Amino acid sequence: MREISLHILDIMQNSTAAQARVIKVVITVESGKSMLRIVIEDDGCGMDSKVLAKVTDPFTTGRTTRRVGLGIPLFKASAEQSGGDFAISSQKDVGTVVRARYEINSIDRPPIGDLPGVIADMAAGYPTVEIHLQLENGDRQFVFNSREVKQVLGDVPLSEFEVIVWLREYISEGLKEIFGGVLSEINS
Amino acid sequence: MLAAEFAAKLGAKVLTGEPRDNTEIKGIYCGDLLSWVMSHAPKSSAWVTVHTHLNIVAVASISELSCIIIPEGIKVDEATINRAIDENTIIISSELTAYEICSIAHDCGI
Repeated sequence: MREISLHILDIMQNSTAAQARVIKVVITVESGKSMLRIVIEDDGCGMDSKVLAKVTDPFTTGRTTRRVGLGIPLFKASAEQSGGDFAISSQKDVGTVVRARYEINSIDRPPIGDLPGVIADMAAGYPTVEIHLQLENGDRQFVFNSREVKQVLGDVPLSEFEVIVWLREYISEGLKEIFGGVLSEINS
Repeated sequence: MLAAEFAAKLGAKVLTGEPRDNTEIKGIYCGDLLSWVMSHAPKSSAWVTVHTHLNIVAVASISELSCIIIPEGIKVDEATINRAIDENTIIISSELTAYEICSIAHDCGI
Protein backbone atom coordinates (compact mmCIF):
# COMPACT_ATOMS: atom_id res chain seq x y z
CA MET A 1 0.00 0.00 0.00
CA ARG A 2 1.14 3.52 -0.67
CA GLU A 3 0.55 4.66 2.90
CA ILE A 4 0.99 3.09 6.33
CA SER A 5 -2.47 4.38 7.28
CA LEU A 6 -4.03 2.10 4.64
CA HIS A 7 -2.44 -0.92 6.31
CA ILE A 8 -3.84 0.33 9.62
CA LEU A 9 -7.30 0.69 8.03
CA ASP A 10 -7.09 -2.85 6.68
CA ILE A 11 -6.22 -4.32 10.09
CA MET A 12 -8.95 -2.24 11.79
CA GLN A 13 -11.47 -3.67 9.33
CA ASN A 14 -10.29 -7.16 10.26
CA SER A 15 -11.02 -6.16 13.87
CA THR A 16 -14.57 -5.04 13.11
CA ALA A 17 -15.13 -8.26 11.16
CA ALA A 18 -13.98 -10.07 14.32
CA GLN A 19 -16.72 -8.23 16.29
CA ALA A 20 -14.29 -6.08 18.26
CA ARG A 21 -15.86 -3.54 20.62
CA VAL A 22 -12.60 -1.72 21.28
CA ILE A 23 -9.85 -1.10 18.73
CA LYS A 24 -6.71 0.55 20.03
CA VAL A 25 -4.09 1.99 17.65
CA VAL A 26 -0.85 3.09 19.28
CA ILE A 27 1.88 4.69 17.16
CA THR A 28 5.17 5.33 18.90
CA VAL A 29 8.54 6.77 17.97
CA GLU A 30 10.81 4.39 19.85
CA SER A 31 13.56 5.79 22.04
CA GLY A 32 16.61 6.38 19.87
CA LYS A 33 14.19 7.87 17.32
CA SER A 34 15.07 5.45 14.55
CA MET A 35 12.01 3.17 14.63
CA LEU A 36 8.29 3.83 14.31
CA ARG A 37 6.15 1.23 16.08
CA ILE A 38 2.51 0.63 15.21
CA VAL A 39 0.39 -1.55 17.46
CA ILE A 40 -3.24 -2.37 16.67
CA GLU A 41 -5.02 -4.20 19.43
CA ASP A 42 -8.61 -5.43 19.52
CA ASP A 43 -10.94 -7.40 21.76
CA GLY A 44 -12.50 -9.30 18.87
CA CYS A 45 -13.05 -13.03 18.57
CA GLY A 46 -9.34 -13.76 18.05
CA MET A 47 -7.80 -16.77 16.38
CA ASP A 48 -6.57 -20.11 17.59
CA SER A 49 -2.90 -21.01 17.16
CA LYS A 50 -3.62 -23.03 14.03
CA VAL A 51 -5.17 -20.09 12.16
CA LEU A 52 -2.64 -17.66 13.61
CA ALA A 53 0.28 -19.69 12.25
CA LYS A 54 -1.13 -19.26 8.77
CA VAL A 55 -2.23 -15.61 8.64
CA THR A 56 1.02 -14.27 7.17
CA ASP A 57 0.62 -16.73 4.30
CA PRO A 58 -1.13 -14.86 1.47
CA PHE A 59 -3.18 -17.93 0.63
CA THR A 60 -4.99 -17.72 3.98
CA THR A 61 -8.14 -15.63 4.17
CA GLY A 62 -11.23 -15.22 6.27
CA ARG A 63 -13.15 -14.45 3.11
CA THR A 64 -15.38 -16.97 1.51
CA THR A 65 -15.60 -15.09 -1.80
CA ARG A 66 -11.98 -15.70 -2.71
CA ARG A 67 -9.20 -17.86 -1.50
CA VAL A 68 -6.41 -15.32 -1.20
CA GLY A 69 -6.04 -12.67 1.54
CA LEU A 70 -3.26 -10.13 1.45
CA GLY A 71 -3.93 -7.60 4.21
CA ILE A 72 -1.57 -9.09 6.76
CA PRO A 73 1.07 -10.39 4.30
CA LEU A 74 1.34 -6.96 2.64
CA PHE A 75 1.65 -5.15 5.97
CA LYS A 76 4.37 -7.60 7.02
CA ALA A 77 6.28 -7.20 3.73
CA SER A 78 5.97 -3.40 3.94
CA ALA A 79 7.49 -3.28 7.43
CA GLU A 80 10.24 -5.78 6.63
CA GLN A 81 11.19 -3.98 3.40
CA SER A 82 11.63 -0.82 5.46
CA GLY A 83 14.18 -2.31 7.85
CA GLY A 84 11.51 -3.18 10.41
CA ASP A 85 9.68 -6.23 11.62
CA PHE A 86 6.18 -7.56 12.10
CA ALA A 87 4.46 -9.74 14.67
CA ILE A 88 0.93 -10.84 15.35
CA SER A 89 -0.44 -12.55 18.43
CA SER A 90 -3.96 -13.63 19.16
CA GLN A 91 -6.01 -15.53 21.63
CA LYS A 92 -9.34 -17.11 20.85
CA ASP A 93 -12.21 -15.10 22.46
CA VAL A 94 -9.78 -12.53 23.87
CA GLY A 95 -8.47 -10.54 20.91
CA THR A 96 -5.64 -9.90 18.52
CA VAL A 97 -2.54 -7.70 18.61
CA VAL A 98 -0.75 -6.70 15.42
CA ARG A 99 2.62 -5.03 15.81
CA ALA A 100 4.68 -3.55 12.97
CA ARG A 101 7.89 -1.57 13.12
CA TYR A 102 9.38 0.62 10.39
CA GLU A 103 12.81 2.17 10.23
CA ILE A 104 11.85 5.84 10.14
CA ASN A 105 14.55 6.91 7.71
CA SER A 106 14.39 3.86 5.44
CA ILE A 107 14.01 4.97 1.83
CA ASP A 108 11.37 2.25 1.37
CA ARG A 109 9.19 3.34 4.31
CA PRO A 110 5.81 4.50 3.02
CA PRO A 111 4.56 7.81 4.43
CA ILE A 112 2.09 7.60 7.30
CA GLY A 113 -0.55 8.98 4.94
CA ASP A 114 -4.07 10.06 5.75
CA LEU A 115 -4.27 8.67 9.26
CA PRO A 116 -6.76 11.41 10.33
CA GLY A 117 -9.10 10.31 7.53
CA VAL A 118 -8.77 6.63 8.41
CA ILE A 119 -9.45 7.14 12.13
CA ALA A 120 -12.27 9.66 11.59
CA ASP A 121 -13.96 7.41 9.02
CA MET A 122 -13.64 4.34 11.25
CA ALA A 123 -15.12 6.29 14.19
CA ALA A 124 -17.99 7.57 12.04
CA GLY A 125 -18.57 4.26 10.25
CA TYR A 126 -18.54 2.09 13.38
CA PRO A 127 -20.14 4.29 16.07
CA THR A 128 -20.67 1.37 18.44
CA VAL A 129 -16.97 0.47 18.39
CA GLU A 130 -14.61 2.37 20.66
CA ILE A 131 -11.78 3.65 18.47
CA HIS A 132 -8.74 4.68 20.46
CA LEU A 133 -5.74 6.38 18.85
CA GLN A 134 -2.60 7.15 20.78
CA LEU A 135 0.49 8.88 19.37
CA GLU A 136 3.68 8.88 21.43
CA ASN A 137 7.08 10.46 21.03
CA GLY A 138 9.23 10.67 24.16
CA ASP A 139 7.17 12.50 26.75
CA ARG A 140 4.82 13.95 24.15
CA GLN A 141 1.52 12.15 23.81
CA PHE A 142 -1.75 12.59 21.94
CA VAL A 143 -4.90 10.59 22.62
CA PHE A 144 -8.14 10.41 20.70
CA ASN A 145 -10.96 8.22 21.95
CA SER A 146 -14.22 7.98 20.03
CA ARG A 147 -16.24 6.95 23.11
CA GLU A 148 -15.18 10.10 24.96
CA VAL A 149 -16.02 12.26 21.95
CA LYS A 150 -19.39 10.54 21.66
CA GLN A 151 -20.19 11.32 25.30
CA VAL A 152 -19.40 14.99 24.74
CA LEU A 153 -21.49 15.09 21.55
CA GLY A 154 -24.57 13.62 23.21
CA ASP A 155 -27.28 13.22 20.57
CA VAL A 156 -25.13 14.43 17.67
CA PRO A 157 -23.86 11.38 15.75
CA LEU A 158 -20.17 10.89 14.94
CA SER A 159 -21.16 10.56 11.30
CA GLU A 160 -22.39 14.19 11.15
CA PHE A 161 -20.39 15.97 8.42
CA GLU A 162 -19.15 18.79 10.68
CA VAL A 163 -18.11 16.24 13.29
CA ILE A 164 -16.04 14.27 10.78
CA VAL A 165 -14.38 17.46 9.55
CA TRP A 166 -13.55 18.39 13.14
CA LEU A 167 -12.25 14.87 13.94
CA ARG A 168 -9.90 14.92 10.95
CA GLU A 169 -8.63 18.36 11.85
CA TYR A 170 -8.13 17.40 15.49
CA ILE A 171 -6.19 14.21 14.69
CA SER A 172 -4.20 16.04 12.03
CA GLU A 173 -3.10 18.61 14.63
CA GLY A 174 -2.15 15.76 16.97
CA LEU A 175 -0.02 14.14 14.27
CA LYS A 176 1.81 17.40 13.64
CA GLU A 177 2.34 18.00 17.32
CA ILE A 178 3.73 14.54 18.09
CA PHE A 179 5.52 13.48 14.88
CA GLY A 180 6.28 16.83 13.21
CA GLY A 181 9.99 17.06 12.43
CA VAL A 182 10.51 13.34 13.20
CA LEU A 183 8.65 11.84 10.23
CA SER A 184 9.90 13.73 7.19
CA GLU A 185 6.42 13.77 5.59
CA ILE A 186 4.89 15.71 8.50
CA ASN A 187 5.73 19.37 8.91
CA SER A 188 6.28 20.53 12.45
CA MET B 1 1.34 -14.88 -27.47
CA LEU B 2 1.82 -17.73 -25.03
CA ALA B 3 3.90 -17.12 -21.91
CA ALA B 4 6.39 -19.84 -22.88
CA GLU B 5 6.82 -18.36 -26.37
CA PHE B 6 7.44 -14.92 -24.94
CA ALA B 7 10.00 -16.37 -22.51
CA ALA B 8 11.83 -17.80 -25.54
CA LYS B 9 11.76 -14.37 -27.27
CA LEU B 10 13.34 -12.85 -24.16
CA GLY B 11 15.92 -15.61 -23.94
CA ALA B 12 14.58 -16.06 -20.42
CA LYS B 13 14.14 -19.07 -18.15
CA VAL B 14 10.75 -20.38 -17.04
CA LEU B 15 11.37 -21.19 -13.37
CA THR B 16 8.13 -23.04 -12.80
CA GLY B 17 8.60 -25.82 -15.35
CA GLU B 18 6.27 -26.75 -18.15
CA PRO B 19 3.00 -24.79 -17.76
CA ARG B 20 -0.09 -26.97 -17.34
CA ASP B 21 -2.16 -24.90 -19.72
CA ASN B 22 -1.65 -22.43 -22.54
CA THR B 23 -1.55 -19.09 -20.79
CA GLU B 24 -1.82 -16.23 -23.21
CA ILE B 25 -0.20 -12.84 -22.56
CA LYS B 26 -2.56 -10.02 -23.50
CA GLY B 27 -0.45 -7.12 -22.24
CA ILE B 28 2.41 -6.14 -19.98
CA TYR B 29 2.16 -4.46 -16.60
CA CYS B 30 5.10 -3.14 -14.55
CA GLY B 31 4.87 -2.26 -10.89
CA ASP B 32 6.34 -3.06 -7.50
CA LEU B 33 3.69 -1.79 -5.13
CA LEU B 34 1.67 -4.96 -4.77
CA SER B 35 -1.58 -3.34 -3.64
CA TRP B 36 -1.38 -0.97 -6.62
CA VAL B 37 -0.77 -3.84 -9.03
CA MET B 38 -3.76 -5.69 -7.53
CA SER B 39 -6.04 -2.75 -8.18
CA HIS B 40 -4.68 -1.69 -11.59
CA ALA B 41 -3.13 -4.55 -13.57
CA PRO B 42 -5.42 -5.70 -16.38
CA LYS B 43 -6.34 -9.38 -16.38
CA SER B 44 -4.07 -11.67 -18.44
CA SER B 45 -1.13 -9.26 -18.28
CA ALA B 46 2.41 -10.46 -17.92
CA TRP B 47 3.61 -8.69 -14.78
CA VAL B 48 7.16 -7.42 -14.41
CA THR B 49 8.26 -6.97 -10.78
CA VAL B 50 11.49 -6.96 -8.79
CA HIS B 51 9.77 -8.61 -5.83
CA THR B 52 10.42 -12.31 -5.26
CA HIS B 53 8.38 -12.78 -2.08
CA LEU B 54 5.59 -15.37 -1.87
CA ASN B 55 3.08 -12.50 -2.00
CA ILE B 56 3.65 -12.06 -5.74
CA VAL B 57 2.10 -15.49 -6.40
CA ALA B 58 -1.00 -14.42 -4.49
CA VAL B 59 -1.20 -11.15 -6.43
CA ALA B 60 -0.86 -12.96 -9.76
CA SER B 61 -3.55 -15.40 -8.71
CA ILE B 62 -6.00 -12.81 -7.41
CA SER B 63 -5.56 -10.50 -10.40
CA GLU B 64 -5.61 -13.38 -12.90
CA LEU B 65 -2.30 -12.37 -14.46
CA SER B 66 -0.85 -14.62 -17.11
CA CYS B 67 2.67 -14.80 -15.70
CA ILE B 68 5.25 -13.05 -13.54
CA ILE B 69 8.50 -11.86 -15.10
CA ILE B 70 11.39 -11.15 -12.74
CA PRO B 71 13.88 -8.84 -14.48
CA GLU B 72 17.64 -8.30 -14.13
CA GLY B 73 18.41 -11.87 -13.12
CA ILE B 74 17.10 -11.39 -9.56
CA LYS B 75 17.15 -14.68 -7.68
CA VAL B 76 13.68 -15.96 -6.77
CA ASP B 77 13.04 -17.63 -3.40
CA GLU B 78 12.61 -21.40 -3.55
CA ALA B 79 9.36 -21.18 -1.53
CA THR B 80 7.93 -18.74 -4.07
CA ILE B 81 8.75 -21.05 -7.00
CA ASN B 82 7.26 -24.08 -5.26
CA ARG B 83 4.06 -22.24 -4.39
CA ALA B 84 3.81 -20.89 -7.93
CA ILE B 85 4.03 -24.45 -9.27
CA ASP B 86 1.24 -25.51 -6.86
CA GLU B 87 -0.89 -22.54 -7.96
CA ASN B 88 -0.13 -23.06 -11.64
CA THR B 89 1.42 -19.58 -11.84
CA ILE B 90 4.24 -19.13 -14.35
CA ILE B 91 7.39 -17.32 -13.19
CA ILE B 92 9.92 -16.25 -15.81
CA SER B 93 13.41 -15.06 -14.94
CA SER B 94 15.04 -12.66 -17.37
CA GLU B 95 18.45 -10.99 -17.39
CA LEU B 96 16.92 -7.93 -19.12
CA THR B 97 15.58 -4.78 -17.47
CA ALA B 98 11.84 -4.08 -17.26
CA TYR B 99 12.25 -1.53 -20.06
CA GLU B 100 13.99 -4.02 -22.34
CA ILE B 101 11.31 -6.63 -21.61
CA CYS B 102 8.56 -4.15 -22.49
CA SER B 103 10.37 -3.12 -25.68
CA ILE B 104 10.58 -6.73 -26.84
CA ALA B 105 6.90 -7.23 -25.94
CA HIS B 106 6.03 -4.22 -28.09
CA ASP B 107 8.07 -5.60 -30.99
CA CYS B 108 6.20 -8.91 -30.59
CA GLY B 109 2.89 -7.09 -30.97
CA ILE B 110 1.83 -7.56 -27.34
